[in-house]
Amino acid sequence: MEELAGRYANRAVRSVFIYTREAHPGENYRHHESLEDKRQNARAFVAHSKLRRQVLLDDLEGTAHCAYGMLPNMTWIVGRSGMIHYKSAWTSVADVEDALERVLDFQANRAKRQWVAFYSERSAWSTRDYKGFMAGLERNGPQAVADYQRMLERNKAAREAPSEDVGPRVPGNYYEPEGGTGA
Amino acid sequence: MTATEYNYSVFDGSAEEFREFAVHAPKATMRAPSLPLEDLATGRIVEMSELWRSEVALIEFGSFT
Repeated sequence: MEELAGRYANRAVRSVFIYTREAHPGENYRHHESLEDKRQNARAFVAHSKLRRQVLLDDLEGTAHCAYGMLPNMTWIVGRSGMIHYKSAWTSVADVEDALERVLDFQANRAKRQWVAFYSERSAWSTRDYKGFMAGLERNGPQAVADYQRMLERNKAAREAPSEDVGPRVPGNYYEPEGGTGA
Repeated sequence: MTATEYNYSVFDGSAEEFREFAVHAPKATMRAPSLPLEDLATGRIVEMSELWRSEVALIEFGSFT
């Protein structure tokens, strides 16, 4: 997303990162008990990820995060009128860029072409970087790894075999096979 | 939700969060909620509406973990 933000900075796109609660707290990066905890973890994240985007902190109760749906790595695109053009449960750079191009086209040509925005939904996809994800959990600390493994075991016990036409169910995918319970 | 409930200390991967996002969070074509946030670099309070006042806002939510 950093690279994408850089490429669109001169196309009237303001890219920001809103720092939320810790999704997978561990011994090294614990949950926040104060705003200073949150600032400290956010600074560590900026240094580690070499983030150049503006980083904005939500309050300790996560008021903004809750208002936008509370998922751990969402991306939203908001047009100049304040209208939501895109919301995604996960962040996929390719999907975000595709949406961003369409939003910029809409903003530039809406009046001239008499376009009227309407509501629509579609699915998106991304490649799962399981190895990178697990390395991140290990960086967070042993508790983060153990908590995640416990969730996997719980889901495995609850889930039926994956359907052939839709990949294994993952968080953010609402598909439930007919008669199935889902994850 | 209290700050303690929001900032859980143990991840349990509730699938309900995804339903919350789909059902109760604002939809595309709605007006984006504007709430105050703190700029990490300066400490200044930024209203979210400032983000889309003159530009398209690309907003990613996340954390280190």
